[in-house]
Amino acid sequence: MAATAYPRRSGQLVLLAIALGFFVLFLLAPLIAVFVEALSQGIAAYGAALVEPDALAAIKLTLLVAAISVPLNVVFGLAASWAIAKFDFPGKSLLVTLIDLPFSVSPVVAGLIYVLLFGAQGWLGPWLAAHNVQIIFAVPGIVLATTFITFPFVARELIPLMAEQGRDDEEAAISLGANGWQTFRKVTLPNVRWALLYGVLLCNARAMGEFGAVSVVSGHIRGKTNTMPLHVEILYNEYNFAAAFAVASLLALLALATLALKSLLEWRYGVHGKASS
Amino acid sequence: MSLKLANIAKRFGAFTALHDINLRARPGEFLALLGPSGSGKTTLLRIIAGLEAPERGTVYYEGEDITQLSVAERRIGFVFQQYALFKHMTVAENVAFGLSVRRRRERPSRRAIKARAQELLELVQLGELGKRLPAQLSGGQRQRVALARALAVDPKLLLLDEPFGALDAKVRKELRHWVREFHDRVGLTSIFVTHDQEEALEVADRVVVMSNGAIEQVGTPSEVYDNPVNAFVFDFVGESNCVPVVAADGHAAFRGRTLDVDAFGLRGAGALYFRPHNVRLGASGDLGLPATVSAVRRREGRVRAEAEIAGLAEPIEIDLPPDGAPSPGQAITIVPTHAHLFPATVAHAS
Repeated sequence: MAATAYPRRSGQLVLLAIALGFFVLFLLAPLIAVFVEALSQGIAAYGAALVEPDALAAIKLTLLVAAISVPLNVVFGLAASWAIAKFDFPGKSLLVTLIDLPFSVSPVVAGLIYVLLFGAQGWLGPWLAAHNVQIIFAVPGIVLATTFITFPFVARELIPLMAEQGRDDEEAAISLGANGWQTFRKVTLPNVRWALLYGVLLCNARAMGEFGAVSVVSGHIRGKTNTMPLHVEILYNEYNFAAAFAVASLLALLALATLALKSLLEWRYGVHGKASS
Repeated sequence: MSLKLANIAKRFGAFTALHDINLRARPGEFLALLGPSGSGKTTLLRIIAGLEAPERGTVYYEGEDITQLSVAERRIGFVFQQYALFKHMTVAENVAFGLSVRRRRERPSRRAIKARAQELLELVQLGELGKRLPAQLSGGQRQRVALARALAVDPKLLLLDEPFGALDAKVRKELRHWVREFHDRVGLTSIFVTHDQEEALEVADRVVVMSNGAIEQVGTPSEVYDNPVNAFVFDFVGESNCVPVVAADGHAAFRGRTLDVDAFGLRGAGALYFRPHNVRLGASGDLGLPATVSAVRRREGRVRAEAEIAGLAEPIEIDLPPDGAPSPGQAITIVPTHAHLFPATVAHAS
């Protein structure tokens, strides 16, 4: 009886050792390796690798892409989840399925879709060329691909929460004389603010880290269409390991910061959720 | 003259939620929409509020057609079943919401809004709790905040959707009295939805009994309880027993035994309805239902006996004074002292 209620200490230790070992081997060691490699030629080389013009351009481009695609997806995500959770319309379940498409499709395929559409040989290619608009192998293509890949993050966080909250709060606000915008700003948005922040965080992490889709549409022009992940790959392929890892360490730092913020949010979110139930 | 509904109909897909509803609410009265779930009572309330649009029909307020007006334009106070208080706002902010979202020209000053919110909180006896969050209140207190919030916009009509549904039994009874007394104090025409007949009978001035999207009867609590128009109303507004009878020669008969019940001109197959307390025990020769007591339970001030009647699947429930109550196994004759006879075919499936 006692054995089933309280598992033996040795069994507990074995499980803990396996879990910890796995964690160290597959998560912690690579993370440390990134920083060790990045600093292997000293702090000066590390700094130089980051301020080198091509690296700076890559960092800037990554920030620019995130700064465009994340707000776009906040707007799309809010609109889609608001529509899905608060209204009934034909084709609703199809829309829910479509929102998940970027998750189920390989990023490379996502990139290829845009090449097919906007590339020189693509459907709209001749028209775009005639009007002197370049999308593929240029910044707009990278923004498009990133926006596509990161589309589900905000909507996925919001839809279940909004659906669970129902329409009562909104109807109450409207019955008290609030207009649509007031209802959204004063009632709907505060009700989902933590989930929205959480979604934005995940969306941003992915937008900065996306490799596959961006790689297809970017064209890898150094200093012009290289994002940080692409820049890491190029440096690595040139055997410039220290510089590659220096840029990679920035991405790793971003991941760590995201994780920390995410935990913080989960904690706040949890407290908030409990208080409101 | 106050609120009038004319031929209101509503469908959800293939399901007809309301068939041609006609109803008037008098100024200052407290009206209950009573019915089982799916009877259309909440849909009707939402149509009055403007939260739902009717398929057909007109909503009049003070003789004016308000069917096309939005919720806000109707100036109606709506209290939601789960109160729908804004979780992230304090109680005072919740109450002030209706005033603070007004257009600048119509909006009172910040100070005036605050004062009005406080005044309303005092009206619902929660003057001290303005700084709390809704999560820090009890169910009954939340209900009162929802009421105060609805009143902030000076509504012409107060609508409450299952106002006591989310509360536990004890708070429910207390709040029932409180809401009734509050209604009398505020003097606003109010309509509430409930599936609980006891609640409707106790709180309302008039009760609208609904089933399957139609109104069965409108009347004072006494009218619907004592003079139900059909078997559904009889069964729904209180405890009831039903015995199949045949009416002939001005009297109802159960399996050949004539009962001391007037057939009111009814002929042929009928259903005899009576409440557990509307019976007496007769002598064996009396005109009544022969039965055998199967169980006796003590209740407050009376005894509830279950009696089996040969030929009936369900036992009959009767209330008797505790003195001289029969014991299980005893043969008795049940004489309904006040009963209703309805044609058998009209018996509704509830």
